[in-house]
Amino acid sequence: MKYYFSRIWAGILITLLSFSFTSSSYAIDIKLWDLSARQGQDEFYELLKKEVKKYNPDINVIVTEWENEAYKTQIQLALNGDDGPDVFFNWFGEDSARLARAGLALDLTPYADMEGGYGNFISKGWQDAGAVDGKIYGVANKAVSKYFYYDPAFFDQHNLSVPTTFGELIDTCKSIKAIDSSIVPWPMGNSERWKLNHVITMLNQRVVGAENTKADYALTAPDDELFTNPKYVEAWEKVVELNENCFNDAPNATNPELTRSMFAAQISPMMYCGTWCGGIFASEGFTDFKMFRFPRVEGGADDGTVGFLVAEGMQVSAKTKHPEAAALVASINVSDIMALADAELRGSLISNAALIDQMEDAPHWFTFYVNDIADKSAHVNVLDVLLEANVSNAYLDMGTEVLNGTKSPQEAMDFIRKVALEAKAAM
Amino acid sequence: MNKTQINSIGFSLSSDRVSVIILLIPALIFCTVFIFIPAFWAIVGSFYSYGMTSLNDWKWVGFDNYIKASQDEFFWIALKNNFIIVFASIVLQVGVGTILAAILDRGIKYGKVIFRTIIFTPMVISSVAVSIIWLLIYDPNFGILNNILKAIGLPTPTMGWLGDPDISIWMIMIVAGWQNTGFMMVLILAGLQGVSKEVYDAAEIDGATGVKAFWYITLPMIRNILIVAILITTIGAFKVFEFVYVLTQGGPSNATQVLGTYIYLQAFNLLHMGYANALSVILLIIALILGWFQLKASRRA
Repeated sequence: MKYYFSRIWAGILITLLSFSFTSSSYAIDIKLWDLSARQGQDEFYELLKKEVKKYNPDINVIVTEWENEAYKTQIQLALNGDDGPDVFFNWFGEDSARLARAGLALDLTPYADMEGGYGNFISKGWQDAGAVDGKIYGVANKAVSKYFYYDPAFFDQHNLSVPTTFGELIDTCKSIKAIDSSIVPWPMGNSERWKLNHVITMLNQRVVGAENTKADYALTAPDDELFTNPKYVEAWEKVVELNENCFNDAPNATNPELTRSMFAAQISPMMYCGTWCGGIFASEGFTDFKMFRFPRVEGGADDGTVGFLVAEGMQVSAKTKHPEAAALVASINVSDIMALADAELRGSLISNAALIDQMEDAPHWFTFYVNDIADKSAHVNVLDVLLEANVSNAYLDMGTEVLNGTKSPQEAMDFIRKVALEAKAAM
Repeated sequence: MNKTQINSIGFSLSSDRVSVIILLIPALIFCTVFIFIPAFWAIVGSFYSYGMTSLNDWKWVGFDNYIKASQDEFFWIALKNNFIIVFASIVLQVGVGTILAAILDRGIKYGKVIFRTIIFTPMVISSVAVSIIWLLIYDPNFGILNNILKAIGLPTPTMGWLGDPDISIWMIMIVAGWQNTGFMMVLILAGLQGVSKEVYDAAEIDGATGVKAFWYITLPMIRNILIVAILITTIGAFKVFEFVYVLTQGGPSNATQVLGTYIYLQAFNLLHMGYANALSVILLIIALILGWFQLKASRRA
């Protein structure tokens, strides 16, 4: 018996020793955090792990997935701690820039041209999506945009044409209601506040224009001019017009997912939704939809060629013990093979856009997004990512108030201006 | 009592004291790590300005965060909502729970177990799941509540049950009441079942039956249980978070904001950690004051 136990102990000892020799010397564990619930994510990350090993066999990528809302909090806590991720997902704009300014995100500029570096795969324009003060603090691997989706069968049946101006959009809504007053022309689910924020983002762009909003959004305009342009009020007035003619009752109590289902079930013939929606509609059984851009506003500051685009990608923690390995993982994430897999497996609008043509059996909506984004003159980032946190929250709140009719467009802008002045003073 | 006995008692007492201390140590460690130290840092942090992404860059601001709270209209809305929830919860959960318990105790003869189980069932579902169920019920487009009202020809709120700032807080109260009333009922029912039958028999001889017996006999007899129920409800109402967060996220336009969600908003969305700490300290002080009152009342009882 004694002999038997000593053999077991010897076995355990040998196993432990062999583990320590094989894994401790060179293994580099890179913790990667991403959002969950994306189609094809498991296959995508299995491929990433293999691709990274081609460049450095000692790197082990450990992926953790998070739910959207939980992630926003958790990532900030983790980056301040000692056990956070090495590589992590972020929305590019104020969210990513804030981490860079706080010294929590690593400057990736020196790693652009290393072997396997992101500079080998994505264009200068896409690299700049992660730039803060001329340095690259994130590698953009994809983007999201927004379009009007419509039901062409319904439009054809009722001789409706695709609106090219805001006025025509309102007329289309009126025509749909005239066909059947119980049909909601454009379902609006603003219970989480961001849905209308995307609409006011585009209305500000169309009515006020990028040149006029730039200093206000950055809070660099003089105090007596900050958010005083009357065109902002005009943009909110367009929201009131949409609410009266296009939206469902109680938009602030309606869930955004429900509105997607209303369109997918062909209960509503039109809706404004992100590039993530095409796949969702298809998964719910509706693929015969078409898309059009957010129309220009008559007398507005832009001609309708500027599009909504939010870049997303990976940042590297400034606290990582393996900066080069972490930068390599973020870079391989946008390599030719990974970008193509990202588009095919997860349906992402990839930053390595030259590869789109190689995609097999790309769905029609995907081809539309890619061509349309390439065709746009410029892009605008969404307000809740772009603006300072307090001003962004004020815009979100005012969206609710204007939809409820508890604040007029002028009162909404007065409130936003007040918050913007306070935020600017605190900077 | 001889000397040996005295020594034996003395030894036994000091041994008890050691045992008490040893037994308390694990709880003390947990309380220190998870309550006292965080509370201490929350108090310290409330005098500084810092954000989630600048945890190493604390700026001393003295009482500025507290002054800011006193001038913050949304803080007062949140505080007012917390008090509304406290009083409405006491009425809805303890009040209705007491009535249901009385009915189950003496009002019905058959099916007591079935009714008790049905009423208690929501308590075993998670608050988030309960909130999602009610989100579907309240939905303005396809919700069952609107469909029923429309079917019988009654009007529905145009802004939606959760979108109308005038009624949304009450809609949240109904959800909280639906989940927690069963628990209050079971608690109070346990108290009612402890009241001796002879007391009611004696009261009946004196002419006190039905509501009169409930008012003059039952309620005074279960006073301690009621105080405990009110204490639990008050604490629960002050720390309410998940119902509000899932149902309205404090909206529409901050109409349903409570201190829990407002602290979360300030800390994690607006990144004002110092200010969020100050709000937490205010919540702590309110909870301590309420706890002290409740404790005093229960001792008197």
